[in-house]
This record gives sequence, C-alpha cells and structure tokens, in this order.
Amino acid sequence: MLRTITEQGVVPEVFLDGEMDLDCAESLRAAIAAAARGAEIVMMDFGGVRFIDSSGTGVFVRICLDMRSQGVRVHARNLSPAVADVFAMLKVRDLVGDDAFAD
Amino acid sequence: MTETRDRKPATLRVYRYRSSDDSLRLILGDQEAPISRDRLIKHARRAMERASFVCFAAPSPARTSADEICFVPTDDGCDILTIHANGWRRHHGDHRRSLVEILTDLAAAVARGRLNVLDDDQLVVERGRGRPLLTCSVIDSASLAAARGAAELIMKDAGLSPENRQKTVLCFSEAVTNMLVHGGGGGNVQLRRLDDSLRFVVTDRGPGLGFLNWIEPPAESGQASMGYGYKIMLENMESVSLHTGSAGTTLILDRKV
Repeated sequence: MLRTITEQGVVPEVFLDGEMDLDCAESLRAAIAAAARGAEIVMMDFGGVRFIDSSGTGVFVRICLDMRSQGVRVHARNLSPAVADVFAMLKVRDLVGDDAFAD
Repeated sequence: MTETRDRKPATLRVYRYRSSDDSLRLILGDQEAPISRDRLIKHARRAMERASFVCFAAPSPARTSADEICFVPTDDGCDILTIHANGWRRHHGDHRRSLVEILTDLAAAVARGRLNVLDDDQLVVERGRGRPLLTCSVIDSASLAAARGAAELIMKDAGLSPENRQKTVLCFSEAVTNMLVHGGGGGNVQLRRLDDSLRFVVTDRGPGLGFLNWIEPPAESGQASMGYGYKIMLENMESVSLHTGSAGTTLILDRKV
C-alpha cells in the first residue's frame, strides 16, 4: 500500500510512503493531479518507498509523460536504493529524461 | 478499442526440434506455424551446425507484417521461438517495449540457459520438486503484498543476502503481478525448498501468455504495463521456467541459496 502526503507551495511536494506496485496507480495519479493544479513543477519524494516493481515504475513514467503534455514538470528526488536499482534496471532516465531527477 | 476486441492477440509459440529422432513438436501456442514445418527443421539444423542463435523475419502472406522467428540450439536439438504479432504494432509515442524486443530477450534467455520452456511432462516433474515451505492464493494486491512479506521472511531464514532478497522479491512480485493482471485475476503461489535453492511456483488458470497487455493502448488511468516483467525475471533469477497454454500459465523461479 502506498500513502501520499502533499505539502502545497510554489513547488508542491508529494511524499510517498510504502510500496509501489500495481495497486498505486489510481491514488498516486489523483495525488499528483491535485498537487499540480496551478503549478509548473511537482516534486515527488521517494524517500519512504520500500518496494517498487515494474508496475509501480510504469505508473511513475506515465505520470511524468502525461503531466509534461499538460505543461507540468514532475521531478523525483530522494530515491531509496530499492527504487534507484529498479529505475536503473528499467532505464527510466531514458524514458523520462535526466531533468526529471532532482538529485 | 473495438479494433482490439475484434483482432486476435499476439501469441508466443515455441517448437522443439530433437535431432536424435528428427522430431519437431509444438510446446507452446497454437499449431499454425509462421513458415512450413520443413523450413523450420531446415533452419533448426542450420542453427545447430553453426552452434549459434539465428533470427529472421517471416513476412505474412500479404506482406503487411512479419513475425520474428528465433532458433536457439540446445544440448540435443533446437528450441524455436516466435511471437505471432497478428499485425499489432507499437503505438506512436508508446514507451512500452516492442514485441521483437520481448521475443529477442526470451530467445536470448533460452540460449543462455536462463529460460526453460517446459512441456506438459516436464511441468509435472518440476513443480513437484522439493518440499513446500509456503502455499497461498493471491487474488489482489493486498494478498500479493502479504505473499511478498512471507517470502521475504523465508528468504531471510534461508540466509539470502539483502541484495539477493531484494532482487528475488522483485521478480516474485513481477510473476504474481502478471498472474493478477493477465492470468485470470488470481492463482496460487508456492515457495519450495530444493537442495541448493529456493523455488517459487506461480500458477494461474488464465488464458495463457497472450501479450494482451501489449496490444491494448495504454489505459487513460490505471496501471501501465511496460512489458518489462519477464526481462526483470530473466536478468535477476538464476533460472526461470515457463509453461503456458489455454488452461493457464506456470512460472517457476529459482534462487540459489
């Protein structure tokens, strides 16, 4: 299960906590869409993500691409080793661009 | 979406050529071969002579599309893998992998001994090896998370390093997610202890590996399948065994202890 906490501001920050698998798509998309209203950048903080698989990674990639098409940039930061390893394995930077990573 | 419903899915076919009795058998998929049986045997023999992996494209009769065929020499013959694309192509701007990339990964894994395609008899033997440590049914993401937790504890008890546990639980999650999303919505999971390894057996009674996730356009909402599940499993497990057909799919993942 994935929980999200959003801190609104000029750059809204969405803190993720839990596991990112096939179950996280709906709630995460809703959280990012809500945070993105009126913003140009949304920051996703992965510090609390203990597990991610290709489904969870696919959700992140899709959110980045969809938000970009709406003029909103999504940045990721604070990747735990579990997340960083899977993102490297799946070449996520090639899909969403280096500029999607704040670290 | 109407188009998706009206067209057949892309399907994996695997044939096995045995040089000892010059036999060619269909192991997975339907009977219709992309090229004639004689040509399959001819190319299988050629791949065996060269002792190398051979791939080529077989155009459809109307030449509007082509199916990639891979010939992989084995100890006593040749496995022949093909994904019948049924004319499906990747959508423009789609971040998912092409069927040719997926097939090439599968064929390369057979060539490296990482992927074993099981026939019916082999499946019966392999899924019964060792002694059961955990048996559970997985029907949703909550039971998947619970199964991941139980597997993690067993791996820790077995002495797997944190790095190996992380890789293994990822692969296990990929296998079970495939079952939930494409295998009829649920199935059974077993963790078994073999002499020198832990074995994860993931079984569903779905329609068989059909690449349906691939041919449908990415959903407007909901989870996005990237087609990377098998790649992750093949790159991170010592051995993956696959049996699939209209009565369901079984994936067996082995991790050395």
